Formats: sequence, structure tokens, C-alpha cells
Amino acid sequence: MEKFVFFGGKGGVGKTTMSAAYAVKCADAGLDTLVVSTDPAHSTSDVFDQQLGDEPQAVDGRDRLWAMEIDPDEEVEHHLMETKRALGDQVSAALVNEIDRQIEMAHQTPGAYEAALFDRFVDVMRSSEAYDRVVFDTSPTGGTLRLLGLPEFLEGWIDRLLRKREQSIDLFEKAAIGNNEPRRVMDGDPILARLRERKEFFEYAGETLREHAAFFLVVNPDELSVRETRRAAEGLSDRGLSVRGLAVNRLTPGPDDDENGRGARYLRDRVATERAHLRTLREEFDQPVVAEIETRVEEVKGDFLTEVAAELDIDTAAPATPSSEST
Amino acid sequence: MSDATDDGEGAIADRIDRYLDALREWATGLYHGLVTHPAYEKIEKEAEDLEDTFMLACFPDAFGIPSPVSYYTAELLPYLESEFEAWERRMWDRGSMLERKGQQYHF
Repeated sequence: MEKFVFFGGKGGVGKTTMSAAYAVKCADAGLDTLVVSTDPAHSTSDVFDQQLGDEPQAVDGRDRLWAMEIDPDEEVEHHLMETKRALGDQVSAALVNEIDRQIEMAHQTPGAYEAALFDRFVDVMRSSEAYDRVVFDTSPTGGTLRLLGLPEFLEGWIDRLLRKREQSIDLFEKAAIGNNEPRRVMDGDPILARLRERKEFFEYAGETLREHAAFFLVVNPDELSVRETRRAAEGLSDRGLSVRGLAVNRLTPGPDDDENGRGARYLRDRVATERAHLRTLREEFDQPVVAEIETRVEEVKGDFLTEVAAELDIDTAAPATPSSEST
Repeated sequence: MSDATDDGEGAIADRIDRYLDALREWATGLYHGLVTHPAYEKIEKEAEDLEDTFMLACFPDAFGIPSPVSYYTAELLPYLESEFEAWERRMWDRGSMLERKGQQYHF
């Protein structure tokens, strides 16, 4: 299995439970595991009954398990402060206000939140040497797909910007005929340096997602969830990201055969429809069904997590990265 | 007396030098005005135009066009001080493409 494992799916299907259970499974198998929640409506804290923050924290009562919840708001704020600090260092007082307004505006745009989330999770991937496995509990399908589609889009964008900048500097250099000082020079241009740094960042993200990440979709046995899963699986495959399997959650337990009350009849009907959906998932999807988890009456926490983990048919073998091959 | 002759010869040499200097200055000026200046002005204008496209690609929201990547390009702003201001001015001032191109010819 790859080092980075993503769980995605429609809202409310149990992504957090699945990713937590898988992380527990990995940790129990002896891997140093980190669970990262990228869903703005964090519930990883609730599953582990422990307040988590923006930095990895050891999970109480479990060995080899760490967890964190990414906070994009904090990241946006941090990025804003950083940019403003650079502004103070670079720009003359007369112009600060004008540019300041522009910077503020850029941090209010709809894309800012997603960009910040993206930056953070790529950062987490980059600085994850300490862990054997990193499990991402992502936000519902739409958001995740957009997020994971970012690197390719941004790489192209940065490329175009770089080329434009290079061309204009090149012309400025050519315009400096004779002993004239060119207005801009290629060497040490801070803009080119920044853009190149960004480009590298996006390339790393794209490559890591394509080569070292596995995706699982969590699905409930109902029509809406099945449909959305189909779209998500297609969307991810289109982006060259491999979907490894479908984890079916919230299966209704059937009644005993001798029961015949109203509740039992309801359950029997329910189970029948769910069977049909399960069959669809088995037969029409390219990906295998890797887990069939029954609904539990209690919240999935503590020992229940271990129980669910046991039912997950996703292997935990250490990723084939150079770092772990040496052991 | 030989000193005086030396002075005289020196003075002539000086005058020739001054004359050549003036000639050189004129020639340089003429060459600069006729050839060099229009040439690099043109190239520089072209470079400015390219820079404008770059800036517009980076900060379309300065003109009310939302950009999904302005979060990333905002971090370039501290290094684009002079460009940014000049660009905004150029963009607001520019009447038409023709006017801009016309500036290259000094009628």
C-alpha cells in the first residue's frame, strides 16, 4: 500500500470513521500512523474523544497513532501575515497602502480557502518522514475532487506566468543597448525565484498524488451515495489518481428469521434494497468492495474502532518507499 | 622661447582634441537619436506590454475579475512594487492599442 491513503465520499457516509479505523489498523500492525482531517467540519476529535489541533498529536491510549486537524483559516491568516511582512521589508511607505489593499483582497477571494487547505496538506505530505503511513480524511466529494485537481491546473498556470516574465525580462535586457542599465535583469529576479519555488511545490504535489497515494471511497448502500460514488470514481480516474476500493458503510443488520413484527418487516425490506445497491457496487464498478460495515447502535469510538478496523479488508503492508525498504 | 612654441603646438593639439570631442558628441547624439533610442524604446515598450499581460494574468481582481489563483500571486506583490503602480496607471490611461503603438513615433 502507498504511504498516503485518502478516504473520500459523499457527506455523512462515515469517512471519518473509516479513516480512523484504518489508521488504528495500521498502527496496530506496527506502523507509525498519522490521521489528517482536511474536512472543515472536523470530527476526528470526536472519534478519538480528544481535542486535536493543527499540529500532530499522539492519540491517547493508542500506540503509534497520531492525529491532526488542518485549519485553513489559520493558514490563510498565516499566509496573509507572511506576505505583509515581506511587503513591509520591500516596499516604500508611500506605496504600502495601495498594495496592501490588493493583498487583503486576494485573501478574501473564494479560492483562498481551498488554496490554503491545499498548501497545508501538501506541507503535511512533505514533512511526513516520521510516519510510515499518513491517512487523509477528506472533505465531501466535490471539494476533494477540486482540491486534488489543483496541482495540474496550477502547474500550467505557473508555467505560463514564468514564460511571460522571462520574455519581458529578456526584452528589457535587450533594450539596454550600449552601456544602458537594463530595467530588469534575469539573475536574481525575485519574481522568477518565487514562481519557480511554487512550480516545484505543485509538481511535488501532483507527482506524490499520482505515484504515492491510494484513494478509497466510502459509500452507503443507498441510491444517492452510489451515484455520487460513481461520479467521484470517474473524476479521480480522469485525473490519473487510482481508486483502490469501495468501503461500504452503514449496512442495516437483518432481523432473525422467526421475527415478524413491524420492525422486523421494515428491516427485511431495508436489507433487500441495500442488497440491490451492494450488487450494483460489486458488479458495475471497476473497484473492489473492500469493506462491509454494519450500522452500530453506539458511536464508533474506542474499542468499536478496533472492531471496525478488523472488518476493513484493506492491507496495511508498509509502503514501498526507499525509507522503509532499508529496514 | 622654446616653451612658447611648445605651448603653441600644445594649444593646437588641444583645439583639435576639443573639436574631435565635439564632433564625437554630435555623432553619438545623432546616432543615438536616430538609431539607438528609437530601437531600445521600441523593445522596451514591447517588454512593458508583455509585463502588462503578466500583471493582468496575476491580478485580474484589481479590475474586478475574480481570479482563483490570486492567493498565490499575492505573494509576488511585495516584489512588484514599481511594476504594480506603473501597470495600474498604464492600464487606466491606455485609450486604445493604437494610441499605445503610436507613442513610439514622435510626430
